Amino acid sequence: MPTVDLEKVRKVYDQKVAVEGLTLRINPGEMFGLLGPNGSGKTSSIRMMIGITMPDSGTVSLFDQPFTRDSLKRVGYLPEERGLYKKMIVLKQLAFMGQLHGLTAAEAERRARRWADRLQITEALPKKTEELSKGMQQKIQFIASLMHDPDLIILDEPFSGLDPVNASLLQDTMLELRGERKAILFSTHRMDQVERMCDAIALIHRGRVVLEGGMREIKSRYPRNRVEVLYGGDTTFLRNAEVQEVKEYAGRAEITLRGTEPNAQPLLADAVAHGTRIEKFEVKEPTLEEIFISTVGGRVDA
Amino acid sequence: MHNVWLIAKREYTERIRTRGFMIATILIPLLMSAGIAGTILIAKHSKSNSHIAVVSTDMKLATDVQDELEHGSESEMMVDVISPPSAKTRSNLDAAVKAKDLDGYLWINPPKTSGARPQLQYKQGASADLATRSTVSHGLSNVLARENLVRHGMNQEQVAEAMKPVDMETETGAKDSTAANFAAAYVTFFLMYMVIMLYGMNVARSIIEEKTSRVFEVMLATVKPVEMMAGKVLGVGSVGLTQVGIWMLAAVILTHTALIASVMGSSGSQIAFTVSQVAYFIVFFLLGYLLYSAMAAALGAMTNSEQELQQLNMFLVLPLAACMVMLPLILNSPNILASRILSLVPFFAPLLMYMRISVSPVPWYEIAGSIAILLVTIYAILAVTSRIYRVGILMYGKKPNLPEILRWVKYSA
Repeated sequence: MPTVDLEKVRKVYDQKVAVEGLTLRINPGEMFGLLGPNGSGKTSSIRMMIGITMPDSGTVSLFDQPFTRDSLKRVGYLPEERGLYKKMIVLKQLAFMGQLHGLTAAEAERRARRWADRLQITEALPKKTEELSKGMQQKIQFIASLMHDPDLIILDEPFSGLDPVNASLLQDTMLELRGERKAILFSTHRMDQVERMCDAIALIHRGRVVLEGGMREIKSRYPRNRVEVLYGGDTTFLRNAEVQEVKEYAGRAEITLRGTEPNAQPLLADAVAHGTRIEKFEVKEPTLEEIFISTVGGRVDA
Repeated sequence: MHNVWLIAKREYTERIRTRGFMIATILIPLLMSAGIAGTILIAKHSKSNSHIAVVSTDMKLATDVQDELEHGSESEMMVDVISPPSAKTRSNLDAAVKAKDLDGYLWINPPKTSGARPQLQYKQGASADLATRSTVSHGLSNVLARENLVRHGMNQEQVAEAMKPVDMETETGAKDSTAANFAAAYVTFFLMYMVIMLYGMNVARSIIEEKTSRVFEVMLATVKPVEMMAGKVLGVGSVGLTQVGIWMLAAVILTHTALIASVMGSSGSQIAFTVSQVAYFIVFFLLGYLLYSAMAAALGAMTNSEQELQQLNMFLVLPLAACMVMLPLILNSPNILASRILSLVPFFAPLLMYMRISVSPVPWYEIAGSIAILLVTIYAILAVTSRIYRVGILMYGKKPNLPEILRWVKYSA
């Protein structure tokens, strides 16, 4: 039972196609990364998921039923452009957002305090938004999207503008939420974060999904053909028949293996046979960044 | 509906707590009453106080004129009498006028035959001093009329009796309160004009604020655009109503105290608001506010910044300003065809129909008609505006042109 189910969604603004044939699924307890360069259609896709705009064709289903505004009560949304009332007291602001999602005033305030405590930002509650730093505003906005305990959490660029300490705090919180079987969708430019956190990803380029699926599954589509070696002594093994390309540095080599089912084993045997001293021998899987570049051919400026 | 209430409540409580609201609530009535007091004071002290000379061979006539101009009801001039003139008088006076020692001089040549009018010459320094000129002319005719009456055999008391201004009693009561009612109508008219203008613009501004701070995107993830707009219009409008309420209450309390009565003088009776006047004020204020704030909401949704709004706000200002232009017509002849038609036009009705009702009895079907037309117009404008709002609020960067806006209205159903 997918939390989000987009089926061949298409959106056209005037003459410009913003999103074309977008199909994706997000399940409960899944961390989903939405990637793509600026203007690729990420925000347009997100807006259609939460009914801010309507798709021209295709269907949007949330919680296993066609989109209705009622299901928005179970969605938390952190927009890319942060939006808070500048002159409003933070606590009141959070309570207001909570009330809009159907909480009582007292309950909303209680939750706001609990979340502020959890994200270590209690001292900001009695202040006006405009008095807070950007990072703090970001955390407040994050809390605002979680006030009503949503089952689907959509975060547009949640890490931008956060220092490393707060970024890892946010990351931990997101992982905890996933542990509570929430479906989380977030977009980011940071590949390493996606790689670490996400169960599934979709890469959008010029309004189309160019790469989609589970993280393991995507990676397994690409051959583990890279080997990093730290060594001393004889270098004969670098000219093994399996090697397609070598970059040699002092005592270190980056090797690309030949074929669709590369095998590093003969290389290691070769090195041992020639008495080369091996300090490190690692067969590496391709990074997400490399996969992207090979998929869209250097067109990604993410 | 719950969301509309929440949004309206937020808008209301946030606005009413601002320093701007406090300042406007206190300052605007102060400025207004200062303005009214100022006008009264200026009117009281606008008696001409120029310095002129009266020249005549007829000593009696000259001193009469001097007396009238120095102590008359409308003037406190300084008047020198030169009688009889010498050959050099005229050139001396010309020089004095030129040197600005004198504001002007009046030369009276007695009539050739007894009983005929004297020949008059008035020369003044500042050629545009109309006030002095008309005061002199007015004073002079009083003097001549009095002399005429005396010549025809009246004594001083009879003359004084005949020259007294008439005292007209109105049919409605012993005391003449037309002026006070008129003032009340006038004040409420401007109040309505100002508040509609001010709070209509506030709606537009608050929408732009949410656009620039991008709050609406969070809001739209839970709330319908129409709910957002309705909440805003109601919230901001309630602030306006609160403010007017405070002013009205203050006005009633103040005008019922002895202080005001003493300042206004014994003739200035209390500014009287009748119950129906207040009821009509509230009805037409609400309708007018709804109409103009709905228009303002559309403007706010179409623009991205205060500057852009300034360029478009003529759509709000022009119809309101037109009401001001038409005000004298309505006041002077509230029941001619033109007034009746104008007060039915929805964009003018809130102000003009209210003014007509205040100054003269209006048939009930015309009032009902104007309210009905207003309601229909408000509904139509809200329907169009909410469509513009739906699309416009998500647009930034580019300013939409007219065909685009029409397309929004057509497709965003």
